[in-house]
Parts: sequence; structure tokens; C-alpha cells
Amino acid sequence: MTAPTAPASSRFTETRDFLQQIKDRVGLVVVGQDVVVERILIALLTSGHLLLQGVPGLAKTLLVAAISKTVDLAFARIQFTIDLLPSDILGSEILDQKTHEFRTHKGPVFTNLLLADEINRAAPKVQSALLEAMQERRVTIGNNNYALPVPFLVIATQNPVEQAGTFELPEAQLDRFMLLHRLEYLTNAEEIEVLRRNTKLGVRREGKGAVARTEFDTIGDKPIGSLDNLSKAMEDVQNVHVSEAFLEHVVAIVDRTRKHPKLELGCSPRAGISLVKASRARALIHGRDYVLPEDLFALADDVILHRIRLTYEAMAEGLTSQQVLQEILSEFDA
Amino acid sequence: MNGALLRSLLVVSLAAAALLGQTRDQRTSPVGMRAYIEQLVLPGAEVVVGKVDHADPVAVRIVKVWPHGSIFRYDLEWTGLEPGSHDLKDYLTHKDGSSNDDLPSIVVQVKPTLAMTTTEPTEPEPVPAPRLAGYRTQQIVFGVLWVTGLLLILFVGRKRRVKLAPPVAKPTLADRLRPLVEAVAADKADTAAKAELERMLVSFWRLRLDLRHEKAVAALAAIRQHPEAGALLRQVELWLHAPEPPRDFDLGKLLEPYRAVTADSLQPIAKEATS
Repeated sequence: MTAPTAPASSRFTETRDFLQQIKDRVGLVVVGQDVVVERILIALLTSGHLLLQGVPGLAKTLLVAAISKTVDLAFARIQFTIDLLPSDILGSEILDQKTHEFRTHKGPVFTNLLLADEINRAAPKVQSALLEAMQERRVTIGNNNYALPVPFLVIATQNPVEQAGTFELPEAQLDRFMLLHRLEYLTNAEEIEVLRRNTKLGVRREGKGAVARTEFDTIGDKPIGSLDNLSKAMEDVQNVHVSEAFLEHVVAIVDRTRKHPKLELGCSPRAGISLVKASRARALIHGRDYVLPEDLFALADDVILHRIRLTYEAMAEGLTSQQVLQEILSEFDA
Repeated sequence: MNGALLRSLLVVSLAAAALLGQTRDQRTSPVGMRAYIEQLVLPGAEVVVGKVDHADPVAVRIVKVWPHGSIFRYDLEWTGLEPGSHDLKDYLTHKDGSSNDDLPSIVVQVKPTLAMTTTEPTEPEPVPAPRLAGYRTQQIVFGVLWVTGLLLILFVGRKRRVKLAPPVAKPTLADRLRPLVEAVAADKADTAAKAELERMLVSFWRLRLDLRHEKAVAALAAIRQHPEAGALLRQVELWLHAPEPPRDFDLGKLLEPYRAVTADSLQPIAKEATS
């Protein structure tokens, strides 16, 4: 028997090179966050939104800034606080003193990449305003409706500690995020590399003064691709083949979350859609023109975990959503 | 002066003696009021009050007795309980038990305090007396009823317990894998069955390589690294998921080793063999 080998996907060579260059460029600035970079690219290629959960100081902002500059995307960052208002994000109508007419002031949401830092610190009204914009990709200011720029990607962050004074996102709103990725600390080797790079940053002179350079200064200003490249990559994602068997796998997993006795809330149909979309993007990033079960397994945590809720009894037993999901994936054949 | 005082004292003393010396002979009295007949001399032996009956219309009491020669003198107290004429002799008897026929009649009159025409109070309706006894019996009866009710609840109207059939042993992965392999080899499997076959092959090798405790994604990566399992998995993936599955491999031959898998085949293989 001759074992067939996976056919090289020559169709997507250009896109694969483009995505690899992004990863390489970001890798020059951010150390050891390959999976996060991959998740951001998946969100970018599928027009999904990403929620990053992790303690401060894991280079979330740096990462998003690096990607935006690499692909020539407009980037904005909003620090969510309790006194933030919807108009601070969306914009508002301002009375022009000279013309005595109202002028629309567009808020920071009018960008390509929006980093919503610590989204759970804002009041639910503000969270809803942003989540509506994420869903509809349009915002209404006064009587006018404005389309958001394309691509539009929200990367929100949540701090898993310091929960006092925060407004936890309800499941219905979490469902709008295609992926929720949990950031972890770097390995020791990666952290040493971070420190090593940091020692070589030096000082930047400004006029007669000087300021210590940061990692943000190392982000190359010249983008390696344009919006056209990104649009082409997004089109290629749509051409990644999804087999009927793969859809069976997705439905089997989603269905098991709905029937599992330890789960009070299973996956929504949107979870299945997100799994397929994200798997297609991942397959493309990994140089394949078809999805595989490994894509499903690799993305299950990020796509499913924030969409399921344990029963009270399961929580009392000390179980976590992750353990239940692993049980579902482990008994893949059931 | 002294003579006048002495005369006054003498007059007062005489008056007091006269008052004290008065005897009462009350033969008439209203109902319920006490009356006295004093210094009454009765013949014969000493007299006492006879046997008292609560139904008697008159109550008599002998207050004092004095010898009076060979006979006796008495102070009597009487109370009339019913209006009319009554003879106190009927209530006296000799102390020695002899007949009181020798006694004279001592007739008294008892006057009613209300007019005779006064309407008599209505006779109250007889009310049954509350049950004062039988508490223990009552408790016993209630107890018996309660136990009876409990027994009825427990045993009456319940479906007879059906003897459950012994649980059917859940088919093992090997039992489920074999028919699927046969169906796929015979090209009779639909997409769902093919997908299930892939899931079962992953589980099969997960057990064989003892990767049960690994995370699913790590386990799949380890399976793909294994020479035999990895080759199989890659071919199955191409067959199932590639847009144009290669036609240069024989699916029946590929799945041949899995046609005869048994529960023993699911045992983890030795570590050295996994490398």
C-alpha cells in the first residue's frame, strides 16, 4: 500500500506567504504568543471578534498594535472604565459654534482594529453599545446611520482577577465573540528572550531630551501587506474546503454540549458556525485547503468554553467547563 | 355627785340587763333568713336535731341546752327554705332514741320573699355533658387508623415491581468499530457513518497509545506522530476531508486490520512500541 501524502495547497501560496510574513513580523516584536497571533489572524480573516482573557502585562496591546501596523490597518484603543459612555465609543453630534449646525464626531469605533481594554469594567449600557456595533457593523449617531470601516475587528480584553467593580459579560453577549482565548504566562525561555530584547532597546532622542525606547518603538512602520492582501486572504478562507464529515464532527460536539448532564447551557448554533469559520481560517494559516479534525480540537477551547455553562451541581463538585469540554472531546467516538 | 353617778350607772346596768335578758321567740321568718326560738322548755329526755335531709324545707340547729329541773331548756335556730307552715318538732328527736311524740308542736311560718304570682324561671334545656373520659381509647383508635392508612398508601394501588432484566453490557469500542469498518469497506456507509468511523479510529488509537488523560488536541498530535496510527489517520483524513481524495490507495486494505479488532486490541501497547 502506498500511503498518499497531503497535496500541497498551491492555490493559496500567496496568501500563506502573506500570513507567514505577518506572523514573522509580529514575532520580531512579541515573543512566545504564536497561538494568540494565530487567533487574531483567524478573527481577522473571518470577520469575527476576539476576547482575550489574561492578566495585565502579557503584551496584548503590543500584539494588536504590531498586527495593525503590519497589515496597514487603522488601530484604536479604548480603556473601558465605569464612567465611560456609549458616545465615548460611538461618537456624538456636536454643535459647531461657527456654523451653528450639528457636526458628527465619529468615535474610536470607526477603525479597523479596535482594542477594547478591560471590557468588563464598563457599565452594561456601554458594553451593549459596542457589542451592537460588533454585530451590525453599523452605528447610529443622532439620526444618521454610519457603516463601520471594513475590515472591523474588536479585540477585547478581560482581566480574570480583580473582579470587584466589574460587570461580567452575560452568555448572550459572550456568544458574539467568535473566540475567547485565555492567555497564559510565557515559558521561562520565552521570558528570558523578552528580557534580552528589552535590554537592547536603548534610548530615543527627542529634541534635546531622551526617552527610553519600548517594544512599541520596535514595530516596523512599513506594512508588509495591504488591505488588498487581507481581502484576498479572506476570500481564500471562503475557498477552504469543508467536508461533510467535518460538519458531522462539529454537530456531534455541539450536540453533546447540549445534552451533557453537567452542562446547563450548551452551544448555540452560532458556536457551530464559528467552529467551521475558525477551522477554515486555521487550515489556511497552516497551509491546507481543507479543514481537519485537528482544527476542531485546537479551536474547541476558544470557541466553545465561553458558550457553555456548568450546572449548579457540577460547580458544587468542583468541575470546570474545561474539564467537561475535554471529557466531550475525549469521548469523541461516543 | 357620787350618788348621781351611781344612780346613772345603776339605770344603765338595769337597762342592759333588761335588754340582755330578752328572749327571742321568732315563729315567722322569710325564706332563707335565720330565726331564733330561745328558752324553749321541752319535756322528756334531751332533744337533738334528727337526721338532716337536704330536701327538708326547714333547717334546725340547737344552739344551747340547759337543764331545767328534770327536763331541758333550749335555744333553737331555724331557717325556712320553703314557704309555708312547718313544725320544728318533726326535725327533733330525743337523744336517747325514744319517740318524740311527747314533744309539743313548734309551728313556724316561712314567708316567701317573692309574690306567689311571680313567673318561675324557665327550665334550662338539658345540655349534654362534655366527654370527660376515653382519651386513651381515642388515641388507640386514631393510632390504628393512622397505621391502616400508612399500610394502604404503601401497599395498595402500587404497580407490582417488574423484575428488571439484567443490564445489557454496553458495546465496546471494538464492537462498534467492526460493523462500521465492514460497511465502509463495502462502500455502504453514509457520511455520518464515515465520520463516526474516523472518530472511532481516533478513540481506538487514543486507547492503544494510552493517551486517555491527555488533552484532546495533544492526544491527536501524539497519534499523528505514531508511525502506524499517524499514517492511518492522515490517509483517512485525506479520504474524508480533502476536496479531491486521492484514488491511489485501497480503503479496504487500509481498514483490514480493524475488521477483527476485539476488546483486547484496545489495551495500551507497550511504550517502546509507540516510539
